[in-house]
Amino acid sequence: MTKINIRTARREAGFPSSWRWIAIAALRALIVILCVTTAVFFLIRIVPGDPAKMILGEYATDESIAALRHTLGLDLSLWEQFMRFVRTLFTQGDTGNSIVSGVSVRELIAARTPVTLLLIALACVLAIAFSLVLAVLAATNKDKLLDHLIRVFPAITLGMPVFWVGLLLILLFGVRLHWFPVGGVKEGWSGMLYSLTLPAITVAFSQIPTLVRSLRAQMLDVLESDFVVTLRAARIPRRVILFKHVLRNAALPTLMLFGVNLSYLIGGTLVVEQVFGIKGIGSLLFTSISSRDFPVIQGIALYCAVAVVAIGLLVDIVAWWLDPRTKEKR
Amino acid sequence: MSRFKALTGKGFGWAVPAVLVFAVLAGCSGGGGGSTAQTGTDSSTGTQATTSGNETAATEPAEGGTFTYARPAAVTSFDLHNEITANNAFAIDKVFEPLVSFDKDGNIVDWLAQSHEVSADGLTYTFVLKDGLKFSDGTDVTAKDAAFSLERHLKVGGPLEISAKVDKVTAQDDHTLVVTLQEPYTPFLSEMSNFSNGIIPADFGGKTEEEFFKKPVGTGPFAVESWDPTGDVTFVKNEHYWQEGKPYLDKLVYKLVQDDSQALNQLKAGEVDGIESLALQNAEELKNGDGTGVITNGSWVTEQLFFNTLDEHFSDEHVRRALALAIDREGLTNALTFGYAQAANSLLPTTIPYNSNDIIKPLNFNLDEAKKELAQSKFPTGFSSTLLIASGNDTRAQEAQIIQAAAQSIGIELKIESVELASFRERFFAYDFSAMLNSGQADSPEANSIIAFQTDPDGFSKSYWTHYTNDEVTKLLHEGQTAADGDGRQKIYTDLLQILADDVPYIPLYYPDVLKGVRSSVEGLVALPNGSLRFEDVRIAQ
Repeated sequence: MTKINIRTARREAGFPSSWRWIAIAALRALIVILCVTTAVFFLIRIVPGDPAKMILGEYATDESIAALRHTLGLDLSLWEQFMRFVRTLFTQGDTGNSIVSGVSVRELIAARTPVTLLLIALACVLAIAFSLVLAVLAATNKDKLLDHLIRVFPAITLGMPVFWVGLLLILLFGVRLHWFPVGGVKEGWSGMLYSLTLPAITVAFSQIPTLVRSLRAQMLDVLESDFVVTLRAARIPRRVILFKHVLRNAALPTLMLFGVNLSYLIGGTLVVEQVFGIKGIGSLLFTSISSRDFPVIQGIALYCAVAVVAIGLLVDIVAWWLDPRTKEKR
Repeated sequence: MSRFKALTGKGFGWAVPAVLVFAVLAGCSGGGGGSTAQTGTDSSTGTQATTSGNETAATEPAEGGTFTYARPAAVTSFDLHNEITANNAFAIDKVFEPLVSFDKDGNIVDWLAQSHEVSADGLTYTFVLKDGLKFSDGTDVTAKDAAFSLERHLKVGGPLEISAKVDKVTAQDDHTLVVTLQEPYTPFLSEMSNFSNGIIPADFGGKTEEEFFKKPVGTGPFAVESWDPTGDVTFVKNEHYWQEGKPYLDKLVYKLVQDDSQALNQLKAGEVDGIESLALQNAEELKNGDGTGVITNGSWVTEQLFFNTLDEHFSDEHVRRALALAIDREGLTNALTFGYAQAANSLLPTTIPYNSNDIIKPLNFNLDEAKKELAQSKFPTGFSSTLLIASGNDTRAQEAQIIQAAAQSIGIELKIESVELASFRERFFAYDFSAMLNSGQADSPEANSIIAFQTDPDGFSKSYWTHYTNDEVTKLLHEGQTAADGDGRQKIYTDLLQILADDVPYIPLYYPDVLKGVRSSVEGLVALPNGSLRFEDVRIAQ
């Protein structure tokens, strides 16, 4: 076999060099973020609803509404408001102060980030752990009752909306059994972990079905491949084959899928926070939307756009890293 | 195919059935949630604000402790002169108190004032302060503070503007405040009972406005300990409170729980002691529930079907009258409110003086009359139009459907248009509706409060955005504002309300009760007709 120069092959196949690749990816990310921010800016202003009227209530006079709109800068033209927004964004790295509470958006988001991040992390751990167990069981019991049960399970859970799963968990483990708090977040790390268990399970529930399906299919592929047969023939213990060889080979595509799904998971977290009364980014977004608190909505949109794009970028980089065709360079 | 049989893990076999069983269990518990509720010892007493429910912890209530109250919206400001919405109003009234207030039946009572006196010509109001009043920081309360507070309110205006034409505010001595008006204005005393007329220290106690309202100091039963404008508020007992020994609680926490079913579940699990937002359909469950109850009281709210009198169809008074005759208010109230409301006869709820509910003759349900009435209109065979409602309120959505069916029975086809609250407000503020469901609310126990807002064509709300104009009504409205309390004033409002019942710019449907969920371990909680709670007398059984 003649040795192929990978770098040349990649270039000939139209693959960019690594630095160029990163530069393109970063540029693409930046454009996406800018587009999202701009779109959100105009969308929330096109949607009917006036923050001043939400603050002053139904009994406010036209003069008081006009005065508040002026203080908030809402009487400026859309274009002027946009220029002001862009200026604040670049000079202060912030989307301004909340219209309702007057607190800076950066502070608001920073205060609520830890609990949301912890929830996402916990949900990821649970999703991966559950998926692993279920997928291994299904793959190793292919076409038996257990396999069928596990395959039916995703079909059921995929059809259940996240908030509904959350409500069921609250009723059973919170209200009925008192094992976990119904909602809110307790003080301290252990308190946080304790209160976030049910919400994390809820979020994980939405991820498990796709992960199990993918991992099971990949494992079956690997299980039927020649090298496993060879390993078995070499009387390698089944546990070693399963966990060291099969799972490792089958896990990669699933991990990639998980990375892609992570942005959905963030979206799911936002809803779950509302259901469980957790004061994280999601519930902040909900309040801000109903009170038309423009700077906060924009801040969160920007924040989520950055997070999702960063994850996408990370997934791309990992994929590229794991691509065997790049191995030579490393 | 089965060549990997040998790898079957014996150890995990139980896991999957366990997960499935769990899912099924959870499902059952969701469906059967109500069935576990035990029968409660019902001690509900009609209009009285009392706890009813099932007592589980039959121990003696004790002083001290913390009451946690779940509320759907955060407290964003304590600036009493610039706020109106319930999220802020019901926090402000814990910290600041007015000279006169109202009790749970809506009677005006002296509060920080020892006594008050209105001159015979209705122009001079004299308030004498109670002895030994102190702010929560320990400084004395004087008439100067009261004068400063009123003057700032007059200067600011704000959403609960003082409508009386105030000529002068004078602190006659440390204890006496004299307010003179340019012309008599009878509702003034009742407006003084608004939370927005609470007493703040003169010159904000030497602080800037901004500093002061971040850490407000008032005479109320509670002082602010910590406050997150996007989250919770923790109040501590005001050690200098003028009601000896009260409040009994050490702390009061306003916990932000935006989702109503989450709040309900926290109450059931005992994680909070009370919930502010309770949907009618959940009241029975709490009342009969294990360890939970409800407290109720008559409210100052009238649920109504409003017409845009500039609308092509609803400008025709026969159409409005026909629809009023087609709606069975009694039936609608019973179907929707589970006994926590009273069918309406007049615009004013029965908790408001001069409501004339027993005198007014409204257009009562009568389909034949309704059809005859419609036959006299420009649209004798009916027409189609839309009914605008705000989404997110189940009761109102059902209400819309009942009204839709009623309209259908006389040939009027109403399309229900449900939009989110912020859009809803935007729409009716711009008169962009034909008919809508909404409620009118009084700020104080005063007939003028609702009537002025709903009948004054020159007011900014243009008769609650109905654009209803009737010179006779406008004349009576102004007479009612200057007439001294008594039979004369009663006659004015009776006449006015009867004209409204005949002209039907809106159909008063029912007066919903104030309804709050509580743990049955809570005693002494008082629900006020404006929806706020008094916590001074609260004790919690341990």
